[in-house]
Amino acid sequence: MNEQELLDAVGRLPKSLEPPRDLWPGISTRINARLWRRWYWVPLAAAAALALVLIGRSIKPTAWDVTALAGRPLIGTKRLAASGRLRVGDWLQTDDSSRALVAVGRIGQVEVQPDTRVQLVVARANEHRLALARGTIAAKVDAVPRLFFVDTPAGTAIDLGCAYTLATDSLGKGLLHVTGGEVEFQTRQRSARVPLGALVQIRPALGPGTPYVEDAPAPFVRALIAFDFEKGRARAMRTTLALARPQDALSLWHLLQRVAPPLRGVVYDRLAALVPPPPGVTRGGAIALHPRDLEGYWTKIHSIHFRRMVLRGVREINPRTGLAR
Amino acid sequence: MPDDLVARAQAGDQTAFRELYRQHTGRVYALCLRLTGDARDAEERTQDVFVRLWDKLRSFRGESAFSSWLHRLAVNVVLNERRTTGRRERRVMPAEDPDNVVGAQHAAPLPSSTPGLSIDLERAIAELPDGAREVFVLYDIEGYGHGEIAQLVGIAEGTSKAQLFRARRLLREKLER
Repeated sequence: MNEQELLDAVGRLPKSLEPPRDLWPGISTRINARLWRRWYWVPLAAAAALALVLIGRSIKPTAWDVTALAGRPLIGTKRLAASGRLRVGDWLQTDDSSRALVAVGRIGQVEVQPDTRVQLVVARANEHRLALARGTIAAKVDAVPRLFFVDTPAGTAIDLGCAYTLATDSLGKGLLHVTGGEVEFQTRQRSARVPLGALVQIRPALGPGTPYVEDAPAPFVRALIAFDFEKGRARAMRTTLALARPQDALSLWHLLQRVAPPLRGVVYDRLAALVPPPPGVTRGGAIALHPRDLEGYWTKIHSIHFRRMVLRGVREINPRTGLAR
Repeated sequence: MPDDLVARAQAGDQTAFRELYRQHTGRVYALCLRLTGDARDAEERTQDVFVRLWDKLRSFRGESAFSSWLHRLAVNVVLNERRTTGRRERRVMPAEDPDNVVGAQHAAPLPSSTPGLSIDLERAIAELPDGAREVFVLYDIEGYGHGEIAQLVGIAEGTSKAQLFRARRLLREKLER
């Protein structure tokens, strides 16, 4: 076929094609939802604008308060006696016997553990950012998502309204343990969602591994680490799937997006056997990583996991359904 | 009268808007299908286009034909969504297989029995790499110029020409097999 024949064939293509189903009901639903939201948000938006103005007037944007909890931490080259101010660009450093408490603007606090080095990078009302060069911090933030960030050599922890402990060595090998809310750990190539009661290993250059729950069995965790960071990924993946329990669904949800495309079906089938997908999520959609299917599945997995965590010791929750036994 | 319909829809008349949907959905769906190369994505994008149309309709001043204006809106919606999805998918993909981002978008098959459709050519277009397909559809099927395509897609004009050349060569090779 020459180019002219190709262009002739293109010219004969129909300009109009009817979709295989009527798309109007979905459009109508979304339009009506928008109409409702438009009016609903007017008073809320006004209140939010007023709140921002009031908060903006009272925030001091360029420095955070620091209190020494033990020993005498350093801010820059100066020893901190009892309390002081950490300014943008300043480094706060603790030795093996000192600790400090940093107020994250007005949205939370970070306890800086011994042998830790952190820098205040951004201190604005809409972005609070620390760099953790090495050591351990325990953060507690009470704010809307994506206001507090911690950069590490392996990636960035993004607060989604939470409490967590983050540890790293100077090369970026470390661990994130979330004890409240949810944290996203992100690099340019990968991200991991870590809800309360879950952990994720982090590594330089590779970023976050696959998150796992606190009570995951040690062999399962070892298999995940082997899959994420070592050689022999195929065997590690098989082991992971064989050892997975319904409680480990959040790990398999991440795994689905990390295995090579031909293996996604195997991971999906195991995940679906442990925690059945919610209505609307299809095998084909999930394997193709359609955001709608992935989000739908995550919502169910997260909701079951959340119930398990908050009702721990109070009620026994079926990890397949999220219902009380 | 089409102008009446637009005016009524601009005033918030959903019956008129539905009639606009009925009149233009085939053209918009065909564009979405060819730009995405995926039947399921095309359905979603078509819905996105009409939801966006509902939001933007008041800004239509009649300076061009309504169908041309809607067509341009549809192109923007599809290309914006691809840019956003590309970013989102790259975030969750392992560093070692970035190519899967593109492959993942082609899971749903094209309709195989649409009357009057040149199935082989449609399929070959759908199988083109994203960049080449977008330029081919916009230039050879929809009649945009390289300057416009460069602006819409966010590439250099030379890249648009190179992608078109590549797309035509790939199509000829596919159709000769």
